Amino acid sequence: MPVPAYSFLMLSGVLFTMGAIGFLLRRNPLVVFMCIELMLNAVNLAFAAMSRYLNSLDGVVFAFLVITVAAAEVVVGIAIIVQVYRAGRQMDVDELDLMKE
Amino acid sequence: MVAGFAILAVWEFLTALGVVAFRRPIYNAMSLVANMLGLAVLFLLLNAQFLFAAQIIVYAGAVMVLFVFIIALLNPGPELTLERRGTEWIYAAVFGVIFAVLLGALLFNRSLTGRPGKLTPEAINAVGNVQSTGAALYTSFLLPVEVTSVLLLVAAVGAVYLAMRRIR
Repeated sequence: MPVPAYSFLMLSGVLFTMGAIGFLLRRNPLVVFMCIELMLNAVNLAFAAMSRYLNSLDGVVFAFLVITVAAAEVVVGIAIIVQVYRAGRQMDVDELDLMKE
Repeated sequence: MVAGFAILAVWEFLTALGVVAFRRPIYNAMSLVANMLGLAVLFLLLNAQFLFAAQIIVYAGAVMVLFVFIIALLNPGPELTLERRGTEWIYAAVFGVIFAVLLGALLFNRSLTGRPGKLTPEAINAVGNVQSTGAALYTSFLLPVEVTSVLLLVAAVGAVYLAMRRIR
């Protein structure tokens, strides 16, 4: 018996929501980044599921592109986090409000 | 198949909970590695072997190694819980309700439509999964692939620039 497509989409929605909750609740910028990865992974799961159940490869290709973009995003984001840390700031996104000034 | 999916779904939920809930960043990172490995197996269930390999190599390999390396380098302690101002909870409640409605609409939606294409799993496996994915990548999706490669180049240059610059 095959797994229905909607169960994959439900799991994807649940994972995305958990990532969003973590993104809003956590303060450590590294953990915030991990929650973004969680959300991107959830979207990839939805892409792959729709690709499988619509008999197409477009979703797989897009999931691959999302993986690439996520890798680029992590590289730049972690470079910024390390620079902020080297500048002696706190590891807390609530305290980082330099852009306001 | 269904039992495997159920086990994996529970696994994904628990590890995602770990990413959100653990206090020490290294535990968050380890939960995320477990989550990504489970997701890779889910891709196998979906007949996406190429995505399975890419997920393990790029995410569980490269990205998470970078995370763990930075955590080891910076050694951030566990988060402190600060006291919150009272008004934040009003916004949290309003947007929480909106998000819950959206999620509920997603979970109980049974009316997704779509026109099935020609590439059934049998057709893909007859050619080979990597071959068909590669053919799609380099024919109909050539422009997105090239744009993504430029993005990777820009990200690499940007990371080098950020690492070179000294902030006072």
